[in-house]
Amino acid sequence: MAEVRSDGNESEKATQNIELVDKEQAQKPTDEKTNTSTTPKETKTKIDVLLKAAGDAPIMKKKKWAVDANKTVAYLVEFIRKYIKCAASDSLFLYVNQCFVPYPDQPIQNLYECFGADGKLVLYYCKTQAWG
Amino acid sequence: MADDREVLRILWDGRIPVCFTLNADEVVALEEPEPFYLLLPRVSYLPVVTDKVTKHFQRAIKPDMNTSSIWFDFNGQPLKWHYPIGVLFDLYGSNKSLPWNITVHFEDFPEDEVIRCESKEVVESYFMSAVKEADSLKHKSQIINSMQKKDHKQLWLGLNNDKFEQFWSVNKRLMERSGDELFKHIPFRIHQCDKLFMQKLAKPVNEAGESLTLKHLMMETLPTIFSNDEDFQSTRIVIHGIEPPLETPLQWLSEHFSYPDNFLHLVLINKEAEM
Repeated sequence: MAEVRSDGNESEKATQNIELVDKEQAQKPTDEKTNTSTTPKETKTKIDVLLKAAGDAPIMKKKKWAVDANKTVAYLVEFIRKYIKCAASDSLFLYVNQCFVPYPDQPIQNLYECFGADGKLVLYYCKTQAWG
Repeated sequence: MADDREVLRILWDGRIPVCFTLNADEVVALEEPEPFYLLLPRVSYLPVVTDKVTKHFQRAIKPDMNTSSIWFDFNGQPLKWHYPIGVLFDLYGSNKSLPWNITVHFEDFPEDEVIRCESKEVVESYFMSAVKEADSLKHKSQIINSMQKKDHKQLWLGLNNDKFEQFWSVNKRLMERSGDELFKHIPFRIHQCDKLFMQKLAKPVNEAGESLTLKHLMMETLPTIFSNDEDFQSTRIVIHGIEPPLETPLQWLSEHFSYPDNFLHLVLINKEAEM
């Protein structure tokens, strides 16, 4: 009996492994699709920006905003500061891809073109340096 | 990459002769201070190389003035220190009038145009942000994230101390090809006078695997400016003060002509405006 059980367990593990592999394989083609897609994104006048709080930064009630494509990062930071009532003496950091801080004079259009996905640009804000 | 290493060295050594003059309205000393001359590295940043300028003019301004509020203008155009000096010169300066005459200010900081820079740490954080952004375009951040804190520091110190070897011994990891793999995207910014800079996604090769060139990049990203060969006659595309051939492959250009922040900073100059 004991042997049978262990056999059963092993085969269970095996199927789990297969499932994982299958998932990876299934994901690959879609990944490649997004990677190689060279179709230029539509030039929009307004860009959907999703603002997410990180660390101890207060959450914004409304997270999704349509931002003028020509506005800069500095404008957006100022907007968030006002919205979450961030004191002038406090820092506010904005991150792209949870990885780097964009230049303040970077137009939102550029960020969307380079780092946007699924028709929107996701940005994280926090009051202490969260990444890098 | 190894074959063209000399190119890296030549670009690193690029210098611009600059004459700094204190804004006359801010002089409180009896005698106007002498202008101050420096050879500035193209690849560096104004706050990194202007300690001597501050020291020189400090005696002539109000004694209680906070010298960290120093800023620079050329012909009334405030200079954004977070761009490399070479980019600022290619944008606003001219080889026909050297040295480059820059006015030094300590008062009336142009908040709307220039970022405050209290210390060199501010420059370091902007610089590192740009390097990280560039690597997220090139390698989905894999290389920069695999580096240690001390490697990041070495990049900055190499630039800060004008030490080519120190900088490139780390930077080569960000620039080297792993086997045949090219960069996913080419990190570039296109600068024009009086305009926000432009940045888009650009691959080094097309779908058929053929190398894309500087010409392709321009026609893709700025179709309104570059639609035919004549357009390339009326606009100069300058980087490091040089106009590279339009047939230069983007991958090679990115590996060799990027500034230390790992971006290709291309400056567009309308020839008619130069007349």
